[in-house]
Amino acid sequence: MTDLSQMDRRTLIERAAWLLGAAAVPGEALARVAHQAGQAPRPFLTPTRMTLLSAVADTIIPQTDTPGALGAHVPAKFDALLQNWASAERKVELVGALTKINDAAMAQQKKGFAALTPAERKAFLAPYDIAALKAVPDTRGLKGMAAMMAGPAVADPGYAKMRELIILLYYYSEEALTTELVYEHSPGGWTPSIKVTPETRNTGGLGMF
Amino acid sequence: MFDAIVVGSGMSGGMSAKELCERGLKVLVIERGRKITPEDYTDGLRPWEVPNAGMVPEEDLARHYKIQKDSFITAATQQYWVKDDENIYDTPADKPFAWVRGYHLGGRSIMWGRQSYRLSPQDFEANATDGHGSDWPIRYDDLAPWYSHVEKFIGVAGSKEGLPQLPDGEFLPAFGLNDGELMFKAAVEKAFPTRKVIPGRTANLSVAQPHHEELGRTSCQARSLCDRGCSYGAYHSSISSSLPAAQRTGNLTIVTDQIVHSVIHDPKTGKATGVRTIDQNTKVGKTYEAKVVFLNASTIGTAQILLNSKSEAMPRGLANSSDMVGRYLMDHLFALSTAGIFPNGPADSFYHGRRPNGLYIPRFRNVTEAGEGFVRGYGYQGGVSRMGWRTGMGQPGIGAELKARARKLGPWFSYISGFGEMLPNPGNRVTLSATKTDRWGIPVVEVNCEHGPNEAAMTKQVLADGKAMIEAAGGIVVSQAKGPGDPGLAIHEMGTACMGKDPKTSVLNKYNQAHDVPNLFITDGAAMASSGCQNPSLTYMALSARAAHHATEFLKAGTI
Repeated sequence: MTDLSQMDRRTLIERAAWLLGAAAVPGEALARVAHQAGQAPRPFLTPTRMTLLSAVADTIIPQTDTPGALGAHVPAKFDALLQNWASAERKVELVGALTKINDAAMAQQKKGFAALTPAERKAFLAPYDIAALKAVPDTRGLKGMAAMMAGPAVADPGYAKMRELIILLYYYSEEALTTELVYEHSPGGWTPSIKVTPETRNTGGLGMF
Repeated sequence: MFDAIVVGSGMSGGMSAKELCERGLKVLVIERGRKITPEDYTDGLRPWEVPNAGMVPEEDLARHYKIQKDSFITAATQQYWVKDDENIYDTPADKPFAWVRGYHLGGRSIMWGRQSYRLSPQDFEANATDGHGSDWPIRYDDLAPWYSHVEKFIGVAGSKEGLPQLPDGEFLPAFGLNDGELMFKAAVEKAFPTRKVIPGRTANLSVAQPHHEELGRTSCQARSLCDRGCSYGAYHSSISSSLPAAQRTGNLTIVTDQIVHSVIHDPKTGKATGVRTIDQNTKVGKTYEAKVVFLNASTIGTAQILLNSKSEAMPRGLANSSDMVGRYLMDHLFALSTAGIFPNGPADSFYHGRRPNGLYIPRFRNVTEAGEGFVRGYGYQGGVSRMGWRTGMGQPGIGAELKARARKLGPWFSYISGFGEMLPNPGNRVTLSATKTDRWGIPVVEVNCEHGPNEAAMTKQVLADGKAMIEAAGGIVVSQAKGPGDPGLAIHEMGTACMGKDPKTSVLNKYNQAHDVPNLFITDGAAMASSGCQNPSLTYMALSARAAHHATEFLKAGTI
């Protein structure tokens, strides 16, 4: 996990550039960055909120023996979702979820969430996560595919959605699908039974399960 | 003048065109949507290349896809779904109906679920047996050779099971069940000896045959990206197989962007002489003429054309002396899903590849087991698989623990979803607005359709049986639907120009030929006299091939 509170200005600038993909090498990565830049000419989130988002994403999915949310450029992709996917209501909900975490950290820790040490961030967010995802009676009235695929209704749907998007963006990333999980775009055929070994990892992709 | 006009290029239109062309007729296919080709497919996009993590922008969903959003639309398939605000229809406020559509060359054959099951002898006798709807003028044996003909051409992977309620066909090797599914199968078949759990029968080429390869099709690569269009041509669609087959005869002409306004009828001869179209972009009207007209505009689209083709001679609409055009609209009960986790699943087993298919549980109610207060029956589609990285998404937990949980293979998870037969009810119908037109000046469709008491009783049993089967296999049910989705959501709408023996109570005869108009044939879902509980596209294609054969014979004999 990255300690954002310990970064100096230069590191922060480098990190911000890295988050936007500017440090990526030419070729495919550069094309991807250009594509993202085309979709999002100006970041939606303010630098302060981007730092907060980065801290939250890094706490939910830290770097381990594989890249974490920051290594997979999740904050920049999240910002692009805010610009290109989220409705006006959704933007309010997601930014509100971020703000709420920060407000709670301020109230409890007397510091903004991003200013906490990695250990403090995790200690704070873990119980917050449990409370926010507590199941509540479902009044959403979903039907069809939405009803089939929806998880249970939870206490803080704004946090749940933000968390879901961070996780989705991570596990759909090239970084996660080439290190954390296994993804073959074209498996070549169906083999209904193979033996699980210690090396077996979950497969990833855009499928439902 | 063409020998034949085929209105619509989707599942049934593609097959009609192929069969007519191969019999030497000069055929014009008229498609209301734009042209698309395999170059438009998005199956090459890797997960990280799909825009917005696969999600359609929320404001687009709200503005353009109010109905379609309840179906399978994603950012990778958005191009295939109609914009509801540009393709309007009406329903009563208390009777929602989901009209799920794709307007482009190939229609919904690009987007279909590929499940391919024959109706059974019992299905063709159902209306006669319990008195609902119009008795089919054909029986299973009439259609069986045409099922075989179509299955060989399109390629259907499946297993022979010897079940009377789900006749076997001409199958390619099945996509096998995984070990979790084999466990589920063994337990269900032991607890319920007359129920069967079998591999789904799907129009994916498990092993491409030479006649498939001649059309540029190759074996399925187990990518399960079918809904984006398949660059391998590994599943059947009009673009991958039927239209190319028609094209190679040299007899096919295709026009796109032409919305058929109405069929032209000559009261002197009693025949159709062609169709009027409106260019979807320029709104310029045009007329095309032919000796024979096949309507394959999809169930509701075909009814709309017939009802809009009224004339002095046919004031209620074309081929509608019976007043049955638009009636008996059906769909399947859909989204009746039960999900469970199997703590007892084979922990040391996994699988490789993304199978474009699942398992199937053929109908058993009112076959080998009585239905509780309902006639007809239902089958289940679904699967059993290892829970993947998403296992951790909804559960509390962050940090390295979350990553570790996502990396680890999850328990075996099952969902089975009932598809139930909906009775033909003449009150479930499509009509045209007397006052409202669409942006091309065509009267807007009004759909009035609802589930009835039979469907309500069936729903209870679908859910109860689903739960019982998962529990019989040692599963813990973790979620279950409360009721079916709105009619239409199964995307199996059918029945608005039903076949029947009596011209007073049906629209089409045993050749799918309009009782009132001898050179008019309808072979899309509109022709269905009952729905069975099986996915219907294979039956539409078999009816299309059979009708094309008879239409050609009649044309050669000079009787139409």
